[in-house]
Amino acid sequence: MMRALKRIPAGWWFISPWLLGLALLFIYPFVASLYWSFCRYDMLSAPRWIGTEHYQRIAAELWRGDGFGQALWNTAYFAALSVPLSIVLAVLLAVMLSWRVRGQVIFRTLFYLPAIIPLVASSILWMWLLNPTAGIVNHLLGWLGLAPQLWFNGIEEAASPSTLLSFGSKDALVLMSTWGVGNFMLIYLAALGDIPHQLYDAAELDGAGRFRRFRHLTLPMLSPLIFFNLVLGLIQSVQAFTQVYLVSEGTGEPIGSTLVLSLHLFLAAFQDLEMGYASAMAWLLFVILLIATALLFRWSRGWVHYRASLGG
Amino acid sequence: MQANNIDRLKLATGLLLLVLLIVLTATRPRASVPAGREEVVFWHFWGGHDRRVVEEIVNRFNQSQDRHFVRAVAMPGNNLDMKMFLAVTGGDPPDLINQDDPIVADWAHRGALLPLDEIASPAEIEQLNGWLLPAARQLGSYQQRLYGLANGLDIRALYYNRTLIEQRSGQPAPRQLASIEQLDRLAEACVVEDPDGQPTALGFLPDPRRLWAWGVVFGGAFYDADTKRVTAADPANVEALQWMASYRHRFGPDNLAAFRQGDQSLPGKTFPLLAGRYAIVLDGQWRVRDIRAARQQQLEQGQPPTEYGVWQLPAPRGRQAAAEGWVNGNLFLVPRGCRNAAGSWEFMKFWSGFGGHEAEAARIASQGGWIPVSQQVMDHPLFVQYLEENPLFAEFVRLAAGRQVPTPVIPGARLYYRQLNQAAGRLLYSKQELSARELLEQTTRAVQQHLQRLERHDAGSAGGGS
Repeated sequence: MMRALKRIPAGWWFISPWLLGLALLFIYPFVASLYWSFCRYDMLSAPRWIGTEHYQRIAAELWRGDGFGQALWNTAYFAALSVPLSIVLAVLLAVMLSWRVRGQVIFRTLFYLPAIIPLVASSILWMWLLNPTAGIVNHLLGWLGLAPQLWFNGIEEAASPSTLLSFGSKDALVLMSTWGVGNFMLIYLAALGDIPHQLYDAAELDGAGRFRRFRHLTLPMLSPLIFFNLVLGLIQSVQAFTQVYLVSEGTGEPIGSTLVLSLHLFLAAFQDLEMGYASAMAWLLFVILLIATALLFRWSRGWVHYRASLGG
Repeated sequence: MQANNIDRLKLATGLLLLVLLIVLTATRPRASVPAGREEVVFWHFWGGHDRRVVEEIVNRFNQSQDRHFVRAVAMPGNNLDMKMFLAVTGGDPPDLINQDDPIVADWAHRGALLPLDEIASPAEIEQLNGWLLPAARQLGSYQQRLYGLANGLDIRALYYNRTLIEQRSGQPAPRQLASIEQLDRLAEACVVEDPDGQPTALGFLPDPRRLWAWGVVFGGAFYDADTKRVTAADPANVEALQWMASYRHRFGPDNLAAFRQGDQSLPGKTFPLLAGRYAIVLDGQWRVRDIRAARQQQLEQGQPPTEYGVWQLPAPRGRQAAAEGWVNGNLFLVPRGCRNAAGSWEFMKFWSGFGGHEAEAARIASQGGWIPVSQQVMDHPLFVQYLEENPLFAEFVRLAAGRQVPTPVIPGARLYYRQLNQAAGRLLYSKQELSARELLEQTTRAVQQHLQRLERHDAGSAGGGS
C-alpha cells in the first residue's frame, strides 16, 4: 500500500484537492442530475424512477406556454436582446476609447468602473433609476416628451409587436445588463491595439474612409473576439439569476414576466422540492445551450476571420 | 531517492491533515456552552430591533436554565427555509428553527420535521391543543398532528388615516366599515389627481397578494380538506378578485402598477400610509410601531399628530364577513435529526407561554409588538396593560381571536401561494381583459396537478416498499 502511494508522482498530490473538488462538486452532481431527471426526488427521500414524466410535463408546459414554456420565452427574449446589445455597445465604446483624446485614461476608467460594482449593488441602483414614479430615467423621458415606462413593474415587451416600444420588466433587465459591458469592452480595447497599423495606412491609401475602415478592417479583425463574447454572453444571459432574483424578490413577478429559466429551476428545486423536475430542466437548458453554441460555431465560419487565415 | 519518497509522504500527510482540519472546523463550530448543559442551536430570521429582543429572550431563558443553553443564530433575509432544508438533507440540522413561510406541510409530509407528540407527552399535547388559539393551531398542524408551535400571529387589517379621510371626504371616518361598498366610497373620496388626470394619491389600492384575505372575508375557501380538492375558483374568491379588479377599471392597469411600484421608492421602505400616498392600507400589526414613531416625531416637532385607526376587513353589503381575515405567523419547528429536541421544546414553551410561562410570553409579546398565540397570554395583566397603552394594536389582537384563515396547510402551499398571487396580479395589471374565474381555475389546475403528482409518488413509494 505504502509502496503504491510512494510511486504516485508528487504532481498528483498537489492537484488532488482540485481533482477531489471536481469529482465531488461537479462530475458527481452532473451525472447524478441526469439520473434524477428521470426520478421523482425531493432530496429528503430516495429518488424514485418515473421514466420521462418530467420531460413530458416540460413538453406540455412548452405547448401551453406556462411554467417551463414561459421561463424559456423570458430567457430567450432576454438573451436575444441583451447579448447583441452588449456586444454592439462594447465594440462602439472600445473604438471610441481607442481614440487618442485628452482624458482618454479617465474615460476608460469611468466606462470600466460599472463592471467591478457588485451585481447586488448595481441591481438596487437600477431599481431606483427605473422606478416608474420617482426614477430618474422616467423623468428624463418626460423632459424629452416621451411617455413614462413601467420598467420592472410592467409586463410589456418593447420588442414584441403587441407592445412595441413599451418597456417592461424584461427590457429593464436588458438595460441593466448593458451596465456590465466593461469586461467585453476591455477585451476589444486590447484587441484594437493589436491590429497592425499598416493595414489602416494601406486602406487609407486605397481611399477608404473612417466607416469603411471600421466595417472592412476593424470588425473582421475583432470578429474572433466578437464571436467569443457572443458565446460567452449567451451562456451568461441564459444563466442570469442574481439580478432577476433581486428585482423580483425571488418571485419572477410581475406576473411571471421575469421568471427566467434559472429562477424557475431554483423555485422548483428549493421551494417546491421537485429536484427531479428541476434536474430535467437543467439538462434541457444544457442541451439548448449546446445546440445554440454549435449553431453559432457553424454560423461563425462565414464571418469570423482568424489572423492565420488573413495571413494565409 | 529515498529522501525524495519521505518528502512525498510528509507532503501527502500534511495535505490530508489540512483537509481534515478544514472539514472539522467547518462542520462543528465551537460555542461556549456552560459545563453540564446541552446546547440548543436556534436559527431565526429576525434582524434590527427584533434581533435585540430575541437575544434578550434567549438570555433570559439561558439564565432560567440549568440543563439547556440556547445559541441563537440570526439569518435575516428570505432564504432561511432553504438553508434549513439543505442542513436537514446534509444531515446537520439546527435543533430549532423559527420561520414564517407556509412550509409546514411540505416538510412534515417528507418527514423533515419532528411532530411535537414525539417530543412532548400526550398530556402536554392535549393541553396544548386547547391552549392555542384556533389560528395558531391550524398554522402548525398537518394531518391532525402538531408539527410547529406558533409563537406569534401575523394579523392584517385596514389601517386608515383618519385626519386625511375627514379632510378629503368632508365627513367623520366611521368606527368600523359596514361594507366593501363603503370602503370603495371612502377610497374614491380620497383620490387626488393631477391636471392630467393621473392619480398622485389614492384612497385605497388592493394588493394582488391579499386575495387570500379578501377571499375568505367574502366567504370563500381555498382548499376543501374533506375532498382534498383545491378550491381557488370558489365563487366567493372569484367575486373578491373581481372586486379587486374594479380598481383596475377605475384607474387603468398601468397607473395601478406604477403607483404600486412608487411605494418602493419611499426612503427606507416607509409605510406608504405615513407618506400620505394612500388614505387606507391593508397591512399587519407590525405597522403600529411605525405609526407610533411617526406620531412621536410630529409631537416633538410641535405639530398636531395625525390620527390613525384600524378597520376590520368588510364583506359586501348585506353579508356578514365570513372570516376576520388571512393569518400567517412565526412557527417553531424542530428538524428531524436534531441533537437536542428536549431543549428545543423547553425553549418553545418559554417563548410561546405554554406550560406556565404566560407571564414571560406576555412580556415578550409586549417587547416585540407580537400577537400571542393563546388567549391565556392575551389575558395576562402585563399584556392587558400593553393593549391599554396601544389601542391600535389591541384591535389586531381582538381580530386574532376570531376566525382567521391561513394559507392551506398542504404540500405545495408555497406553489399555491405564488400561483394565486400571480393570477390576481395578472388580472389587476394586465392590459388584456381577463376572466377572474378562468385565472383562478388555472391556479386550481396547477396546484391540484402538483398534489396529484405527490400522491402518485407516495403511492409508488408505498408500493415499492421503500
